[in-house]
Amino acid sequence: MVSSMAEGLIYDIKLSSVGPGTVTEPDMVHEPSDMDLAMKLHYLKVIYYFGKQAFEGLTTLKIKEPLFMVLNYFPVICGRFRRAESGRPYIKCNDCGVRFIEAKCEKTMDEWLEMTKENASLEKYLTPNQIIGPELGFSPTVLLQFTKFKCGGMSMGLSWAHVLGDAFSAAEFLNLLGKVVAGEKPNRPINLAHLKTNSTNPESPLTNTEDPLSVKRVGPVGDIWIPVNNCKMEAFSFSVNATQLSHLQSKISNNGTDFSPFEALSAVIWQCIGKIRPESEPKVVTICKMMEQNRADGNNLLISVVKAAYPIVEANPSELAALMKNAAIDKIEKIENAIEKDNGVSDFIVYGGNLTFANLEEAKFYEIDYRGEKPIYVSYRVDGVGDEGAVLVLPGPPKNGGRTVMAILPENEATELKSELKKWFMD
Amino acid sequence: MPEMLPKYVKLGYQYPVDHILTFLFIPIMAAVSIQILKLGPEEILTIWNSLHFDFVQILCSSFLVTLIATVYFMSKPRSIYLVDYACYKPPITSRVPFSTFMEHSRLILKDNPKSVEFQMRILERSGLGEETSLPPAIHYIPPNPTMEAARGEAEAVIFSAIDSLMQKTSIKPKDIDILIVNCSLFSPTPSLSAMVVNKYKLRSNIKSFNLSGMGCSAGLISIDLARDLLQVHPNSNALVVSTEIITPNYYQGSERAMLLPNCLFRMGGAAILLSNKRGDRNRAKYKLVHVVRTHKGADDKAYKCVYEQEDPQGKVGINLSKDLMIIAGEALKSNITTIGPLVLPASEQLLFLFTLIGRKIFNPKWKPYIPDFKQAFEHFCIHAGGRAVIDELQKNLQLSAEHVEASRMTLHRFGNTSSSSLWYELSYIEAKGRMKNGDRIWQIAFGSGFKCNSAVWKCNRRIKTPNNGPWQDCIDRYPVHIPEIVKL
Repeated sequence: MVSSMAEGLIYDIKLSSVGPGTVTEPDMVHEPSDMDLAMKLHYLKVIYYFGKQAFEGLTTLKIKEPLFMVLNYFPVICGRFRRAESGRPYIKCNDCGVRFIEAKCEKTMDEWLEMTKENASLEKYLTPNQIIGPELGFSPTVLLQFTKFKCGGMSMGLSWAHVLGDAFSAAEFLNLLGKVVAGEKPNRPINLAHLKTNSTNPESPLTNTEDPLSVKRVGPVGDIWIPVNNCKMEAFSFSVNATQLSHLQSKISNNGTDFSPFEALSAVIWQCIGKIRPESEPKVVTICKMMEQNRADGNNLLISVVKAAYPIVEANPSELAALMKNAAIDKIEKIENAIEKDNGVSDFIVYGGNLTFANLEEAKFYEIDYRGEKPIYVSYRVDGVGDEGAVLVLPGPPKNGGRTVMAILPENEATELKSELKKWFMD
Repeated sequence: MPEMLPKYVKLGYQYPVDHILTFLFIPIMAAVSIQILKLGPEEILTIWNSLHFDFVQILCSSFLVTLIATVYFMSKPRSIYLVDYACYKPPITSRVPFSTFMEHSRLILKDNPKSVEFQMRILERSGLGEETSLPPAIHYIPPNPTMEAARGEAEAVIFSAIDSLMQKTSIKPKDIDILIVNCSLFSPTPSLSAMVVNKYKLRSNIKSFNLSGMGCSAGLISIDLARDLLQVHPNSNALVVSTEIITPNYYQGSERAMLLPNCLFRMGGAAILLSNKRGDRNRAKYKLVHVVRTHKGADDKAYKCVYEQEDPQGKVGINLSKDLMIIAGEALKSNITTIGPLVLPASEQLLFLFTLIGRKIFNPKWKPYIPDFKQAFEHFCIHAGGRAVIDELQKNLQLSAEHVEASRMTLHRFGNTSSSSLWYELSYIEAKGRMKNGDRIWQIAFGSGFKCNSAVWKCNRRIKTPNNGPWQDCIDRYPVHIPEIVKL
């Protein structure tokens, strides 16, 4: 439940809960969509690093107060899962709340950021790591950890169950928190949950359709919502500044086709991973992008699958980038059919079913401001990634203008990948 | 037997008996006036002159009359007025929904699933709502009850209530003559009353008292003490603060009988200003009519029925015995026996007397006559100790749902706030606009000991629906229907 204290690094851990300030009407439920349920074994972890001024002089109660107000607008994340008679999970909006964890770190923030440059997996001590289950009805879906550093800086670690929404939804929640702290009223309707519809009888889906390649069915995990990995996954990140980025893009661009930073970086990493996995080349990759406009509640993902017809090691990164650029987006109905086959009871993964590249360049992580202070750095990763691994391309700190790449791969691959990548960014 | 009489027969009996003096007075006056008129004016003058009024006689008689009148007025007990009162409104950050309480319980008592089950069943049937409050220290998993946190809660609750009261009554701290604070389970040194004196810089010759250990009925004990003091000190006012501090008393063990208070007790407090000053007579909301205290502690079972003790693991908690409702019923009967003659109209008292005699002499099988207290009071404030208490009293006193509405709704919105619950209930009645000038209110409180205390108030003036107070933002949602069992 609570991340263990590594070498006494994180200590003085206190748990409590924060719920909505006003009562939600009884019997309100939220039914996750098929796409939401496909993501239920994944967890978003975001860490905002704030300098001393942001939280100076604030008592715990003062930090909790705006949360109570913001949660009035998010009855769904305060609820808990139940299973319908068919076995399909839904959320009962019972005001249970988000878990609130306070902790202290014996290092200063600068020391910590140095340490995590070498070893990104240390960051798991700044986010709560509780998964949903084994008791669905008593597992919080959102957890917040506020860790105070020796220098007075504070990190805000969010654990957000992917079933609730994608990175954009998580960023929206935290940005709204910043607005409420500033005294603004969120521009969001309060009651988005609706009364449960009685046994929706879906039209019997085409049972003969194949599952799309993007969504991988995994063995039943029951009520413990985390995929079972055959090897330990490790996260590592590296930053690419603006100069390095444009250098890379120009290297890769081919016949006048320009590739976006995401495409360029992904193509390069795809090839590097191909090199370090000679026996099991990732010929098929999944690409994930968030919709920015016309978003509904929950996950708004555009998922596509790219197949390379030739060995990756021999491929030109420009060709790989072109493949990615022209990838056709999976029709959402295909994914929905896969989920609907047994009414949402089966378990799936998207990240790590194939080697997955997620384009999070446009995520609004740096938009938040807490009492007028912007975060020094934002770290983002996904937990619950399957064995094939995932690579997330994130916005870099606004000052640098580049990108941050977070790779979640089997632990023995990390060092090899780092050395491969060095070749690209040394010249 | 009297219940079977048709309504008009009952009324025909009640009206003359209640107003018997008037009924006797009228015929006598009529007879005397007729006699005088028969005599004629000259006869009257002769009788008048024959009385030989002498100057000395007139002087002595008027002196005697003045003497008797003075002695009467001097020995009459001073009228005690309740100028105003204020209840503490907990902030939204203290809110505890059922689901959060249960989830925390599951995590804290993870080795005792039976105890968690028990708590869940209690909560489902408790009559509490989703907006009751616990202090910040109890929100932690596991709870973190330090002395500092307890003092913090005391300061937040008491100071907030007193600030609100001072604003309502415009009283200055220097004007407070008597201070009584009652809080049963938290008794630090210096006392809570010293804490109030320190915060508000009260006078150095203040008469301050701190009552602790006296249970949920201590609120009315404080009122009784204030009344007695105000008899002795002329032209004074008294500030009474009733509260219960939850932080240090949250039971951390797993014995079922001791987990019950955790499910029911919630944060709350009230501050009341009493006065015997003439100047407050017109602006005071209520006049104190009676306070009746009944103590059943002489009986061992009653003494032990609410008992603070250590469980086998050494954790301290309050043990509620299974006989609690029976003992409460007995205590209530005692209290009614004393208060009945003071408040019931003559018709009810006679009926009770006849049934009593009848049961003794004619037929013991007659049902005992329960006096109809609805004729003595317009409003009832029954301590919101729990759903069972309110149900029991409603049955015993034959009250309608509307009479106990204030109690049930207070239990729903605020939980069992111990000695201050009576004030939240009174506040509910005012917020609903039901309090009229001249209405009589009966406050009944039960508490460890076992004690049953009553206070009778009379509404002193027209009370406008208040625009501040603990019910301000939610009164429109009330009354709510409280299901027998809430599905969690």
